[in-house]
Amino acid sequence: MEKIPVFFDCDTGTDDAAAILIAGKMPEIEIVGLGAVAGNVGIEHTYPNTCRVAKLAGIDAPVYKGAEEPMFRPLVKAEYIHANDGLGGKADTISDIPVPEPPKTRAWDAIYNEAVKHNGELVVVAVGPMTDLGIALAKYKELPKLIKKVYIMGGSASFGNITPAAEFNIYVDPEAAKMLFESGIPIYMCGLDVTEKAYLTPEEMDEIGNIGTRATEFIADVCRSSLEFYLTRGYKGKFMHDSCPMLAVVHPEIFSGKMAGIAVETKGKITLGRTVSDYYTDRKFDFENAFVVTDVDREKFVELTLEYLKK
Amino acid sequence: MKRIPVILDGDPGHDDAIAWVLANASPMLDIKAVTSCCGNQTMEKTTYNALRICTLIGLNVPVAKGRVKPFLKPPMVAPNVHGQSGLDGPKLPEPAFDVVPEDAVTLMARIIEESDEPITLVPTGPLTNIAALFMAHPELKKKISHIYLMGGGIHHGNWAPAAEFNIQVDPEAAAYVFAAGVPITMAGLDVTEKAQIYPEEFEIIRGLGSKVATTVAEWFDFFFQYHKSLNGYKGAAVHDAVAIVAMTNPEIFEVKDMYVEVETDSEYCNGATIGDVHGVLGKKPNVHVLWNLDRDAFAKILIDAVRTYGEVSE
Repeated sequence: MEKIPVFFDCDTGTDDAAAILIAGKMPEIEIVGLGAVAGNVGIEHTYPNTCRVAKLAGIDAPVYKGAEEPMFRPLVKAEYIHANDGLGGKADTISDIPVPEPPKTRAWDAIYNEAVKHNGELVVVAVGPMTDLGIALAKYKELPKLIKKVYIMGGSASFGNITPAAEFNIYVDPEAAKMLFESGIPIYMCGLDVTEKAYLTPEEMDEIGNIGTRATEFIADVCRSSLEFYLTRGYKGKFMHDSCPMLAVVHPEIFSGKMAGIAVETKGKITLGRTVSDYYTDRKFDFENAFVVTDVDREKFVELTLEYLKK
Repeated sequence: MKRIPVILDGDPGHDDAIAWVLANASPMLDIKAVTSCCGNQTMEKTTYNALRICTLIGLNVPVAKGRVKPFLKPPMVAPNVHGQSGLDGPKLPEPAFDVVPEDAVTLMARIIEESDEPITLVPTGPLTNIAALFMAHPELKKKISHIYLMGGGIHHGNWAPAAEFNIQVDPEAAAYVFAAGVPITMAGLDVTEKAQIYPEEFEIIRGLGSKVATTVAEWFDFFFQYHKSLNGYKGAAVHDAVAIVAMTNPEIFEVKDMYVEVETDSEYCNGATIGDVHGVLGKKPNVHVLWNLDRDAFAKILIDAVRTYGEVSE
């Protein structure tokens, strides 16, 4: 069977790291490139973090530098979850892994090049702010026709996390997200509706740690670092947001949702960055531009996560 | 039993009408006045409807006419839901009395001022009158014990993807009321869309046989036509009645306290009630948000309320 070519754009990032480790062990796909964008932390962290975690995952594809800041706004970070180094304070445990000089090609150009190369079959998984895709769309007007589908972690059909109304990835670069949602590229959206159901409990993290490879011990440590944040808020474990779109590329059957209209709010006083959705509402938009996922079979999610990490 | 003094403010509207049938039936409530606002239909029509409803159910209290339009936006009506009259369906008695000469805000202010005890407000339409009352009489806010309102939705909207009708009609008024510091229980779409009365229950109500019961059943017949045209409704979501039942039967609800603010300045979200579900703002909760209800218990309460208007046995 031919492997699905996947470009993975991320802001590594604790849950990004887990998604990369899973991606590296999925026999059904081929990672053709990774982009490191500013988001959870600055690019001075997301670039080396992404390089090192990709290496841990056994991924040989190049890591490209993405945008250093959102298209039209200063960067907002999420250090309160991911720590200053983006990896829950555990970045130094993999600092021995060498980081290559970044290629001259930037992430948006790499996305376009791979899209052309794969002749309409390229899948993009974007789990950070959508800036790299936004710049790619701004630069290459034929891009929408060249990408098969974009799987994102971002937004929500109901409420937010960084603000009451908005999810972090969309809030950081709402204009880029708006460009993506209005681009006509098929979008598979894993928002908070589903990603907050895709959590790992402390026991499941231990199980991952006990697999006993360097990668699994590392990711278990990284996940545990932000566990307290979740447990003190009454959740059962850490939300593994970014694993959702990555797993969905190969295992859509464990997720459920439906087509809906999504508009990105770029002006709101208190709703900036909200993915305004007609998923649940009587009155609909006159367009449907995304498959919006709202549920996951969590048992299967955990099972698959473990299965891939054991490889 | 000590009764709760309340003022009913609404834009009838089938579900306002049914809410008032419930309120008038409850021995717990002491209805001091009824005020109309523009929403489901124009002020003239909702006021006329208010008088006809009060006449039908024998609610002999002062009825006053509210502000004729929202603060900053042109009126927005819902004839596709409630018909051209705002209360299409059964033939109603002509009003047996007229509105009082005072306008809604003046009447509310006078009642609150003269009352020995705090008053509860039950707005089931746009919050135009309530915001005007608070602006014109800030000193009276402390004499409002609670607001039980139908409006908004933390998860989603209905009239727009992001906004519920009552709030969307007058977002500035809603923003003002939510920020007023008066305790609010919000019956929003999160719960009111679950408060569906099923067609077989329309028949139970019709079977009670009184004039009020047959009228309520026919209101449901009409109101359900709209819900049938949408996806996912097994019955008629009688939104406004939830605000009354929240007051009389709090035990059938699941409630979440949170900070809620209304968006007034955006591209897609004007009139959205944004609830801080995760507590990320660290602000003190200002709203008791009704999150879920026992639907069967709700339906029973509603049927029993209609029953108090008398049964006609075959």
